[in-house]
Amino acid sequence: MTEPRQLIDGVILIYGTHEMSISALLLLLAILAAFGFFIGRQKIHLQYKKQSNKARINTLPKYFGYVAGLAALIPALILLLVLEVAETPWINHQISQEISSAQLPSGDDLDLFLNDIKNASTESQIAALSDEKQIIHGHYQRIVKTTQWAKTAVVLALSVLLGLWSLKKINTATRARYLFEKTIEWLLLAAASIAIMTTVGIVFSVFFESMRFFGDIPVVDFMFGTEWSPQTAIRADQVGSSASFGAIPLFVGTMLISFIALLVSVPLGLMSAIYLSEYANRSVRAVAKPVLEILAGIPTVVYGFFAALTVAPFIRDFGESLGLSVASESALAAGLVMGIMIIPFVSSLADDVMSAVPQSLREGSLGLGATRSETIIKVLIPAALPGIVGGVLLAASRAIGETMIVVMAAGLAANLTVNPLEAVTTVTVQIVTLLTGDQEFDSAKTLAAFALGLMLFVTTLVLNMIALYVVRKYREQYE
Amino acid sequence: MVISMMNERVAELNLGIDMTQEIKQNGPDDSGILDVTYSETVGEYQCKDAKFSTRDVNVYYANNQAIFDVNLDVGRNEVIALIGPSGCGKSTFLRCLNRMNDTIDICRIDGQIHLDGQDIYAKKQDPVLLRARVGMVFQKPNPFPKSIYDNVAYGPRIHGLTKNKAELDDLVEDALIKAGLFDEVKDRLHGPGTGLSGGQQQRLCIARTIAVQPEVILMDEPASALDPIATAKIEELINELKENYTIVIVTHSMQQAARVSQRTAYFHMGRLIEVGDTNQIFTNPRHELTEKYITGRFG
Amino acid sequence: MSDAMKNTAIVKSGLKKRYLKEKIFKSAGIVSIAIAFMFLLVLLTDVITKAIPAFTQTQLTLTVTLDAEDLELNQESSIEDIMAADFRQPIREALRARFDGVTKRNDKKQLYSLVSIGAEYQLRDLVLADPALIGQSITVDFIADDDVDAVIKNAIDRSLPESDRRVKDLKLSWIESMEASGEISTAFNWLFFSAGDSREPELAGIKGAILGSFYTLLVTLALSFPVAVAAAIYLEEFAPKNRFIDFIEININNLAAVPSIVFGLLGLAVFINFFSMPRSAPLIGGIVLSLMTLPTIIIASRSAIKAVPPSLREAALGLGASKMQTVFHHVLPAALPGILTGTIIGMAQALGETAPLLMIGMVAFIVDIPQSIGDPSTVLPIQVFLWADAPERGFLEKTSAAILVLLVFLISMNAIAIKLRKKFEKKW
Repeated sequence: MTEPRQLIDGVILIYGTHEMSISALLLLLAILAAFGFFIGRQKIHLQYKKQSNKARINTLPKYFGYVAGLAALIPALILLLVLEVAETPWINHQISQEISSAQLPSGDDLDLFLNDIKNASTESQIAALSDEKQIIHGHYQRIVKTTQWAKTAVVLALSVLLGLWSLKKINTATRARYLFEKTIEWLLLAAASIAIMTTVGIVFSVFFESMRFFGDIPVVDFMFGTEWSPQTAIRADQVGSSASFGAIPLFVGTMLISFIALLVSVPLGLMSAIYLSEYANRSVRAVAKPVLEILAGIPTVVYGFFAALTVAPFIRDFGESLGLSVASESALAAGLVMGIMIIPFVSSLADDVMSAVPQSLREGSLGLGATRSETIIKVLIPAALPGIVGGVLLAASRAIGETMIVVMAAGLAANLTVNPLEAVTTVTVQIVTLLTGDQEFDSAKTLAAFALGLMLFVTTLVLNMIALYVVRKYREQYE
Repeated sequence: MVISMMNERVAELNLGIDMTQEIKQNGPDDSGILDVTYSETVGEYQCKDAKFSTRDVNVYYANNQAIFDVNLDVGRNEVIALIGPSGCGKSTFLRCLNRMNDTIDICRIDGQIHLDGQDIYAKKQDPVLLRARVGMVFQKPNPFPKSIYDNVAYGPRIHGLTKNKAELDDLVEDALIKAGLFDEVKDRLHGPGTGLSGGQQQRLCIARTIAVQPEVILMDEPASALDPIATAKIEELINELKENYTIVIVTHSMQQAARVSQRTAYFHMGRLIEVGDTNQIFTNPRHELTEKYITGRFG
Repeated sequence: MSDAMKNTAIVKSGLKKRYLKEKIFKSAGIVSIAIAFMFLLVLLTDVITKAIPAFTQTQLTLTVTLDAEDLELNQESSIEDIMAADFRQPIREALRARFDGVTKRNDKKQLYSLVSIGAEYQLRDLVLADPALIGQSITVDFIADDDVDAVIKNAIDRSLPESDRRVKDLKLSWIESMEASGEISTAFNWLFFSAGDSREPELAGIKGAILGSFYTLLVTLALSFPVAVAAAIYLEEFAPKNRFIDFIEININNLAAVPSIVFGLLGLAVFINFFSMPRSAPLIGGIVLSLMTLPTIIIASRSAIKAVPPSLREAALGLGASKMQTVFHHVLPAALPGILTGTIIGMAQALGETAPLLMIGMVAFIVDIPQSIGDPSTVLPIQVFLWADAPERGFLEKTSAAILVLLVFLISMNAIAIKLRKKFEKKW
């Protein structure tokens, strides 16, 4: 294992000079905060000593230290974060100010042009740039350096100023513990808000790139077009050939595979949950539950490997022995394996909702002379139906978003078919295919992946929202 | 989840047993409840024309014994009340009579329980058939989340008691009338059963039980979750039902026992202490424990 | 009464059919579980049987002469000189000496391909370790080429007609000759655990991927654990009831169900394109995975905190502790086992995750073993993905072996989580 020291070196190395200042800056801030803590604590400690009335319970001196330390740390960190976000746009702005517009391409191409310059960090890379770009590279380096220095100076100044100010302000009458605890509470809130920021980040990333895509390709062509062949749109002048980006075959393929997966997982998952909760004795449960848990814990890439190398050939050979022509990357193989993968998911959701049905309903039915299966089919399942529907929706969302199994076992060709023996492709497969090549980030091909991502996100979001709502309402009913 | 729920239920049922155990280990406590040593059931536990007859019934939950050597007959078309402090085993005993305890894995029963002279725990005896003959009404109203009609029709449907829709309609109506609920719900037979008030729900559950036309109805504190007016209606209903059915009712209310039953059996810590004519039990209890319970010195 | 008697008869007559239905229903449950069980069994058997050959390696024993003049080296040569020397020749000479009479150019090429291209580095490393070997003849067990390996492991059927066989008759005769004279041996494949990726199956190892996974998880843990615990504490102990908090909760629940690939898109658009962070690095992988596992850990931590009985809080508050002190001194330590269990499960999830990491470029072919969280690297599941895609037959067993290693890690993590849960299960 690598030592921590090496780790830090690694960080500094890979980030190069640009990020080294960040690490150093963070370290400096930490030192300043520590100073604030010790001085603040000492100050109050001495003041306490002078007080004659020793019996009175005071706030511990360390809380005053915390207050001073946090004052030196938190605002500076926030400022640093803001500056980091603003840095790239600022540098871009500066560089386009300095260089006459004649030298620069316009619009989207500007980003590309600048990217070349920014990405050149080693000497050989710089040497490989055109002369014009080398000059701009010089400008760029200078601007970056100035910005870095300015950033560092502002952040450190804020830290020192606030640290000193708080040290001067605190005295034994300060409600230090209250201040400290309020600050911590705000930090905790900030941590909780990361969930929101993540959602915003997702929406931001898929939405804006998609909008750029829809600027080139009309939404209608994308949503309702029946031909998908992004490979033809490599050259810029072909971007407009809108027939290439019709996503219907992908939607149909995704639905076909998901449908097969649900066909497998819903009955099997439901029945195993019912068997385990209503019939099985302790020892059977003790064996079966871990089996399901292991099944749930197997990485999807392993399922994909199994689907592609074992199940798909098996189905093809089996189909051929029956005289059927089966594609070697049939939707059936991917769907079946995905279905097995989702069994534990369905089963645990079903288990949850079934066990939320009050015991009294079971007894009521059994007390009337119903058999167990009659009780389950006629009372428990109808009673648990909203919960089960919610679970199925969540499973559907899982199946639609599943990536690795289909990447490995489903095809790339966008056939518009509902025949499970043929190869189809899915939204996730295309996202991976479009984004793992070495293409430019701004090409319509790449942006198409984000448009697909938007579809995927919206679809699963809607499914999840409905499912979570239904399940919550269902639970409230029996609480 | 389900396992844990089961455990909770068992724990609930165990509560009584644990108390028993504890008191047994610690010996008589200050309240003097157990100053009296138990010998055997006081009073006439036998009946001439017994519907149910139980002999030496012992019930265990895992290693805890909940019922000790209970002998009790239930006469044909009589209402018998089982009373006693909470956790005394009266509910457990009741659940033995239609084998509802079968649903609890760790529950074990020995002794004999005969219905019309047949051992209901015999191997060839079918619990489904038994429960069709011995219906049960539970402590908390538990209508299925279906329409009122479907609730009542549930039993006849699963047992195939009717040949056609018209017959089923009649049967449902008849059961609702017998349960005294028909007039209140006749306009919304297809509305949800869970939309009724607590008392109505309990009468719906009784109608549901009657619809199967059982011979015996077991009632486990059927009015404990209801307000006094709803309780009164249930008691009235029980009085009407006794014309046609044998009823075993567990209750924690002595007044209720006095109002509805002909015979009363007093349980204490898993043992049947005294059984006899309801009037006699409440006016002239023969066992010290019964007397203390009746006079409210514990409960 | 007669009604009841009649009903009893009706019920009795229907019983047989009803019990048959009961039996069928119950069997359906058993069959469902059996299918899941069978599938797991088949999958594991498939992977394990395919993986076993990967743990042994075929070696060819050859005697090579390290001629000082040919190598242009002597005992005092510097490390740079040794590194630059051509160690291919001695091996080729040894092969020609072993099978004299091979003259045709194509045949020679075939002959040389008996040993792996890694053999020359093997020889070089021996000389680097002991320069005194220069000028001597030494006998070395060289790594065999993957074709030879496949023949020895019977992955290539020798009885097939030559046209259907990857290894042709001539080469097969050499292999059989060496096999007969005991010059072919098998040894435990240490290289698999000590090497990075390679284009050659016989030289490929998973150390790079394991370390990549390790660094990625390190970042994930460092980011997600504190944030998740802080979020859980806030939501359980401090959060007021208002719309903003409801919104946070809705977000957390939704994020738990967002497809993982969408997190990859987030990583690509925000961290790589917007913040220009390095591609393929465990740092980005870790950030993306921590965003993905946050909801899991938050939800687990919240239920662990919820399970701490109010009496403990009241006891602390009753002594005059502040809310914050109560939470950090009493509630959090009591909830920690549950939180840790949730964290391990989240980490196991992250360890097995592939799709989002594909998006941020961790799918590149990387030979070097990563030294830090900033080095380009790959992770175990992606290594599986890459090898599963490779056409060489030798990678099939490597893929299975990598899966096995991955599963061993995952199962041990889950076992630890279960142990932890059992051990600290509180009986409040």
